[in-house]
Amino acid sequence: MSVSAQLRDPTAEIASELRPRQSPLPTLEGKCVALLDIGKMRGDEFIDRLEILLNARGIATGRYKKPTNTRVAPTEIIHDIILNCHAVVIALSDCGSCTSCSTHDLFTLDGRGIPGVNVITEEFADAFEVQRCAIGFDGAAVVVPHPIQHRTRTELESFADQFCQEILARICSRPSAGRVRAGQT
Amino acid sequence: MLLSSRTPADGLTVFVKKECPTCRLIQPVIRDLAKRTNSIIVFAQDDVSAVEGLAVIDDTSLEQSFRQDIEAVPTIIRFANGREVDRTFGWNRDEWQRVTGLADLGRGLPHMQPGCGSKSREPGVFEHLVARYGDPGLASRKIEIGEWDDPIEAGFERGWSDGLPLVPPTDERILRMLGGTARKPDEIVGRVPPNLAPCTVEKVAINAVMAGCKPEYLPVVLAALEAALEPIATMHGLLCTTCSGSPILILNGPIARAIGMNSGINALGQGNRANATIGRALQLIIRNVGGGRPGELSRSTLGGPHKYTFCFAEDESDAEWTPLSVARGLTRGTNAITLFQGDGIQAFIDQRSRSAPELARSLAMSLLAVGHPKLCEFTNAMLVLSPEHYGIFRDAGWDRVRIEVELHKAMVRPGKDLIQGAQGVGEGISPSRADELVNKFWPEGLLIVRAGGKAGLFSAICGGWTGGRFRDQSQPVTKEIRL
Repeated sequence: MSVSAQLRDPTAEIASELRPRQSPLPTLEGKCVALLDIGKMRGDEFIDRLEILLNARGIATGRYKKPTNTRVAPTEIIHDIILNCHAVVIALSDCGSCTSCSTHDLFTLDGRGIPGVNVITEEFADAFEVQRCAIGFDGAAVVVPHPIQHRTRTELESFADQFCQEILARICSRPSAGRVRAGQT
Repeated sequence: MLLSSRTPADGLTVFVKKECPTCRLIQPVIRDLAKRTNSIIVFAQDDVSAVEGLAVIDDTSLEQSFRQDIEAVPTIIRFANGREVDRTFGWNRDEWQRVTGLADLGRGLPHMQPGCGSKSREPGVFEHLVARYGDPGLASRKIEIGEWDDPIEAGFERGWSDGLPLVPPTDERILRMLGGTARKPDEIVGRVPPNLAPCTVEKVAINAVMAGCKPEYLPVVLAALEAALEPIATMHGLLCTTCSGSPILILNGPIARAIGMNSGINALGQGNRANATIGRALQLIIRNVGGGRPGELSRSTLGGPHKYTFCFAEDESDAEWTPLSVARGLTRGTNAITLFQGDGIQAFIDQRSRSAPELARSLAMSLLAVGHPKLCEFTNAMLVLSPEHYGIFRDAGWDRVRIEVELHKAMVRPGKDLIQGAQGVGEGISPSRADELVNKFWPEGLLIVRAGGKAGLFSAICGGWTGGRFRDQSQPVTKEIRL
């Protein structure tokens, strides 16, 4: 990261310089989880499967899609999530600009009381770290394999299967409490 | 021989700036030295054409001027074995001949002529140079802001802000702020609630920078913090309370005028930098060092705009008036700050009273409403007396003591009217006091301050925090300001 300014910490430095994230929800029962598609190809296939998995657990979902992964989410989307949802899953970042922008989106929503998690590929785990440190935010991420653009739909769905529980654990302190409906995954 | 090195080497080094008349005067001397010695370096602080006919090294960054601690130009330094062995500044033939070891310098020039100040010592520049090239000596954690990020937004993002933009606390600003006090940056002022975290002078300076203070305000901010940290000020409870109380700061003494504080028109309002930022600095210290953030441990049910900042100076223009700080035990003319634990203002309107007794009765009616009309000896209160209202008392020969006595007298009521349930209202004093005559405030619980514009029969009442009901445990604090 190139540095444009160096400031000094005005706090007592007894806590991390990163602002803590919102605590996970105690339960997802009766809550709605926003599934925010960052607007990049293939992300919707991952999110489609994730939505099925969440709904199978009785968790309501709301679908949102950014017009582009190269900018932060439009204010209208942010406001809609704040007004209608209780947590957010942002997916699926597999490049620099989308990782940066999605981390800002995560930060913005967290600041408005919406706990969330950013799903990123392992190649951009360090970019996520740099970005969250730059904005001073102890944001949460779940890291999935990289790359994703050449994967089959089945492979992307298997990532959703594989990481669903970890994603839920970032937004809910008791993610296993939800029951899986018969006949569903 | 002219060395091309950018750093001084053994031999002579001269610092000049083109805009300096003395530097221009001695151009022939420098050219003469270049001919007669094989080791001279010339640095120019503003323009490399400062000495015509010579290759002068650009020091517009002022790095070498800073590193060689140049205070005036021209300065000539002799280095030997990598160390400075002699220097002089300005033009003085004898001095230059001593430093250079050469005779017959500057024939035809006056014997001496003072130089100019070094650009590296201009106001605000030196701190930049310390931050850039030196050791700022600051202990606080560095926070690096990304190339494309906005330092003002960074203040919000890190949770440092009270909701308004902060001045980014860069090293140069912090160093300038620390210049406002002789106290050492690592001195611990006290432990700030609610986390009871130790707070150094440096942390105070950082938060004062962010609040927008000038360095000359820093002693006042330090005194305000010291007042807040006196146990009897109960800052911990005042911060965490569900009530709306917050520190209200009142300045007395010549420093109020010296730093331009407002005690006149709109004294309790916006528009004056010192009033606005000193109070804000204290709030930011409590937020950032103490960890007192609203919604976390700062739990005021409603809060109030006074929790951003509430600081003003008392009008001491009337020599017959006893200033608040004097009434509270300090000598007249002492710089002092008083911290009152109070709420925002309740306006007092009386445009009809013509006599002092009439006005006292009128003020008492409004003061009785503080907290709740039926609660007594439950909070303190501060009355900010405007000039026109004060004039009625002054014309009657009433001084501070007389006004206080008359106000207290006018607020005594039968307990039976105030006990819980009386007048169909559950709130009130203990039923056990039904047969007493009850005072509204403790005798020391009413603070009177003079402030405001000359026109307007309007004063102000600031209700006190409910912690004041514990008479011996929570009281206003007055501290002398150490300059």
